[in-house]
Amino acid sequence: MFLSLKEIKKEKFRYGLIIGMIVLIGYLIFILTSLAMGLANQNTDAINSWNINSVALNKDANTSLTQSLITNDNAKNAKLTKNEAYIGQASVVVKKSGLTKESAQFLGLKPNQFIAQNLKLSSGHKIQKTNQVVVDEQFKNDGYQLGDKIKFNSESQNYTIVGFIKNAKLNIAPVVYGNISNWKNIKNLNGPFAASAIVSKNAKFSMKDDQVKTYSISTFISKLPGYSAQNSTFTFMIAFLMIISLIVIAVFLYILTIQKIQNYAVLRAQGIPAKTLVNATISQSVILVVSGLFIATILTGITAFAMPNAVPMSFNIPILSAVGLGLILTGLLGSLIPIKIILNVDPVSVIGG
Amino acid sequence: METLQLININKYFGTGTSRVHVLKDINFTAKKGEVNLVIGPSGSGKSTFLTIAGGLQTPTDGSVQLEGDMLKNMSSKQRDALRLNSIGFVLQSYSLVPYLTVKEQFKLVKKVKKQNNLTNLSLTQLMEKLGIEDLVNKYPGELSGGQNQRVAIARALYTKPDILLADEPTAALDSERVAEVGQIFQDLAREQNTAVIIVTHDLRLINFADNVYKIMDGQMTLENDMKLAQ
Ligand SMILES: Nc1ncnc2c1ncn2[C@@H]1O[C@H](COP(=O)(O)OP(=O)(O)OP(=O)(O)O)[C@@H](O)[C@H]1O
Ligand SMILES: [Mg+2]
Repeated sequence: MFLSLKEIKKEKFRYGLIIGMIVLIGYLIFILTSLAMGLANQNTDAINSWNINSVALNKDANTSLTQSLITNDNAKNAKLTKNEAYIGQASVVVKKSGLTKESAQFLGLKPNQFIAQNLKLSSGHKIQKTNQVVVDEQFKNDGYQLGDKIKFNSESQNYTIVGFIKNAKLNIAPVVYGNISNWKNIKNLNGPFAASAIVSKNAKFSMKDDQVKTYSISTFISKLPGYSAQNSTFTFMIAFLMIISLIVIAVFLYILTIQKIQNYAVLRAQGIPAKTLVNATISQSVILVVSGLFIATILTGITAFAMPNAVPMSFNIPILSAVGLGLILTGLLGSLIPIKIILNVDPVSVIGG
Repeated sequence: METLQLININKYFGTGTSRVHVLKDINFTAKKGEVNLVIGPSGSGKSTFLTIAGGLQTPTDGSVQLEGDMLKNMSSKQRDALRLNSIGFVLQSYSLVPYLTVKEQFKLVKKVKKQNNLTNLSLTQLMEKLGIEDLVNKYPGELSGGQNQRVAIARALYTKPDILLADEPTAALDSERVAEVGQIFQDLAREQNTAVIIVTHDLRLINFADNVYKIMDGQMTLENDMKLAQ
């Protein structure tokens, strides 16, 4: 600690540059992680808010809510309890004259089932009748208000916004919760269809119908369009950044150590144990990484504060801490190569003139 | 009393046809309180002799004893401890850590060897004697070659070593300073009962030596007559 701190103090510029590099890498990783989390949440926020454990879909729907239809026949065998609810999904374009059109996910609910009952509104009231909708707050940010009459697609039917709800997003689109009795019209369906899916809080829920298959919530989410691809893209980006930071830290420490070999050899000749020198290198890399990350954290905080709502970012402290910890471990790993050099320093090499 | 003893030391470097015999049947003893000067031309084996005496490298055959302990029986950790506690090294260059001030050079030693160093008072006195008492807050890069060397000497003496090994300690000093440093080595040998061994080609140090050895092509001879010649 003594040696590493003194050296950083003497060589402020040199170590400032290294810390600067780590700040940039850390900041980039933090922001990327937040963006990845933000996007992931926009895929699943609505689903997560329902607290469900299984989803029953048509077995030929390829685990896709959009493709799935459950007929009245299918539904009549199912024993529904208070833990199950119908969902009728339709992709819609929401229109109101004077305001921008918005692509949204219409989800039809039965007002007496648990999803409609448990919606946590930020303003307004729950759906009570047909032709009423509760919409994501994104609409509010875009100028829609309680009581506004909106239309879907090219339909002539008017729907009234009776409530706003926070973080209701599905597949990166805002959700419009409505009455399931409106769903078939919106989706232009003619036929004996009950819903797109039946969701349940019960993981073992089954429809007892061989045309319907029940999926666990994690399978269902991983099959959301684009969700897995998006997540693995981000995971790879973050992993590569980690590897790059490992290389940067290792290379810097390596160069710095090479420059100090002569001094280390003298210190070894004078009987200073290799352990003291190894500790100096390790503590130096920890000091560099931790102070770099500290600054990166402050920058990330400022960014979080300054970012407009439209940018999907989620600053998840536990996950960001884990990423930070990963970077510190990376720094430790990066100091392993120089340590090997220190252990092999030959004190004889500096004596001889 | 003999503190350092080298018995029938031979050192070879390389193998086969490139094998060189650098030290040939060297027998050498150093007593506490005495200054020993080993003089020889470049390439004669002075540094090799000094590093073997200090346990930094091992002889091809023969043995080194410090205070009766055989160096070759020690682990590398024990030899580290021995160098820290009992041996002081003064090298020609690079002796100081560039990013520590003069004061901090001693602090570093104190962090590793916690006890039995010079007291602050005696360190100050030593530094006054060496003319470096005003340099405590300077970095080695801000010192002249001679000032660097004097700090390195103080650094080596700080641990109160039993033996002090110096390789060309006066290379960067002018004649006046050489005389002062020579006197310091002599006083130190006397006052702290230290065995001082200096390898050099600087004949100006001869007057301060109790014993003068000559090393030539790896062979060492006692040449105390050289003192009288000066
Ligand atoms: N590690 C080594 N490998 C091979 N040869 C070596 C090694 N170290 C020293 N030598 C050789 O041993 C001989 C003595 O070297 P040494 O460094 O002891 O000389 P020196 O008397 O200290 O010279 P100088 O006054 O120039 O410092 C030289 O010929 C040198 O080339
Ligand atoms: Mg030499």
